[in-house]
Amino acid sequence: MSNKVAIHRLATGVPGLDAILGGGLPEYSFNLIIGPPGSGKTTLAHQIMFALATPERPALYFTVLGEPPLKMLRYQQQYSFFDSDKIDESIRFVNLSDDVSTGDFDQVLARITREIEALSPALVFVDSFRSVMLEAQRHSEGAIGLQQFIQQLGMLLTGWQATTFLVGEYSSEIEAHPVFTVADGMLSLDQSVHRNSMVRKIRILKMRGQATRPGIHTFRISSAGIDIFPATVVLDDTGAAAVADRSPRGETRLTMGVPRLDDMLGGGLPAGYSLLVAGPSGSGKTILATAFLVEGVRRGEPGVIVAFEQTPSQSRNRTIDTLVRAGQIGLINIRAPDLSIDEIARHLIDLIQKMKATRVVIDSLSGFELAVAPTFREDFRESLFRMVAVLAGLGVTVLLTSELEDRYTDLRFSPYGSAFLTDAIIVQRYIEIESRLKRVMAVVKVRASAHGDELRQFEITDEGIVIGDPVLGFEGILGGRPRRTPAAGADRGEPR
Amino acid sequence: MSTTSDDPHREAIRRTLARSAGEDPDASSIAEATLDTWRRVADRLAPVIGERGVDALFGRSLHVTGKAFSWLAAMAGNDKNGAARLAGLKACLAAQEPAAAAEASHALLVNFTELLANLIGASLTERLLAPVWLPPSPESERETAP
Repeated sequence: MSNKVAIHRLATGVPGLDAILGGGLPEYSFNLIIGPPGSGKTTLAHQIMFALATPERPALYFTVLGEPPLKMLRYQQQYSFFDSDKIDESIRFVNLSDDVSTGDFDQVLARITREIEALSPALVFVDSFRSVMLEAQRHSEGAIGLQQFIQQLGMLLTGWQATTFLVGEYSSEIEAHPVFTVADGMLSLDQSVHRNSMVRKIRILKMRGQATRPGIHTFRISSAGIDIFPATVVLDDTGAAAVADRSPRGETRLTMGVPRLDDMLGGGLPAGYSLLVAGPSGSGKTILATAFLVEGVRRGEPGVIVAFEQTPSQSRNRTIDTLVRAGQIGLINIRAPDLSIDEIARHLIDLIQKMKATRVVIDSLSGFELAVAPTFREDFRESLFRMVAVLAGLGVTVLLTSELEDRYTDLRFSPYGSAFLTDAIIVQRYIEIESRLKRVMAVVKVRASAHGDELRQFEITDEGIVIGDPVLGFEGILGGRPRRTPAAGADRGEPR
Repeated sequence: MSTTSDDPHREAIRRTLARSAGEDPDASSIAEATLDTWRRVADRLAPVIGERGVDALFGRSLHVTGKAFSWLAAMAGNDKNGAARLAGLKACLAAQEPAAAAEASHALLVNFTELLANLIGASLTERLLAPVWLPPSPESERETAP
């Protein structure tokens, strides 16, 4: 039997926060919520408080000069987590501004002590603590110094078995500040502006006694409050259980729903693979992706599509639209500005798990890149790689489409160099034959599998993609200007 | 803004003021009842929104109420605050006819609560101030008391 103290972790009620905290908030911890004005500190504090406070576990919210409490109450109740019924019953607001403005910290401490003794709160919030500090500077002749005050407060609150949050506009650069040493946990909120987009970010700078999720996580504030999108981590413990039966990758093969394509792939697409379908605009990538999902539905393999190009109600994608309405295919069509890849990834993973989907389509990477906030574009490849890896970890088979610039001087499959991160590649091209624009398709790669190597002509009909025979008798097709091969006889003996 | 007398909130204020002023009150009893009720409102609110917050709202309510009661406007104009303003209000009410004093006192509290509700919402206002208002009648006190 272990004699170590077991730290109970509280579920914060903020979506995504428990995950990045490493499993919740340690009980009786002394935490700082820091960040510039407007970064969501008070909202985060309120959301945690309304989620955690109960009559048995009451919360005390001290407001100090900073934001007038009238305004705070006015604006905070716009969020759906704000529950007026909890006020007085399990949440008490206490305004300290009159005590703080005297500059006498003994008095402030005495007032805080009095209120804490009266209520025995399990949760204590002080918003904003910076105001306390500014007042301290103004009245430097105070009976006790600020550092002493913080230490005494920290001791008092821990002694009272209260989980505490100090909210303040500190910047994390001032490392030396005594309050930072006293704190058990530090949550830093920020909003970064890049070009004309604004993205909110959160970091756990410190959380004693537990492994936090490293890195910068994005979050969004909506009428429901704060929603955090933990950065996807390619580990086994993403918290996401595998949906598909984890038969070893590639053991079974999925049918593509396009006649003859399975043969080209060497017998279908290996399950759990990621497939990149690259081609110029209008070459039929979305139609191929649609066929892949429809085939899945037909075989009882639910699918999810992340669409960036067209809304499903547009006529061209009526098939998808019908299936989405019937609940047979999940659709993620996020039009929100300033998206992060992690936000999309979380929605996608949630939906995959909800639908028990095994087929996923992302249509298209080009639209995806445009949809994410500019600040994330530099890391797009990296984030995409992580996302694909996480999807692979879920055991789903992923089809990604990618716009391919029609360039006939080189053989490119993707503008991102993202070709390396998929297991299989199908490329589509336009070629000109006898003054007609024809489409060809070829399987470029299927990892660890034999596959066809012909360039096949295909047509798009009302029934979908119809793959024809290999294009024989021409060469230089991918250069856009096919010539009949000499073997075909036409050019034989032509004078030099 | 509704002025119907069946508004339960306005009715609660009227009832509270009337009962704390007693039977057939003179103006000074009404003034006393007003201040008494007001103090209980302030006691409930000050911990939450601070004394300054309460004071600011009170100043605004006096100003708004002064539009209908010119004698109150004269008093509201003084830039006193806190205790001095309350003393002024008390003297001012006590100097009126009882009916006018009761009317102004009611209007002042109604304006104050409506201003508060306007800022922080009716449900939170109700939540914070419910203990101040007296229940409809002594018999039903047991049922409506929280």
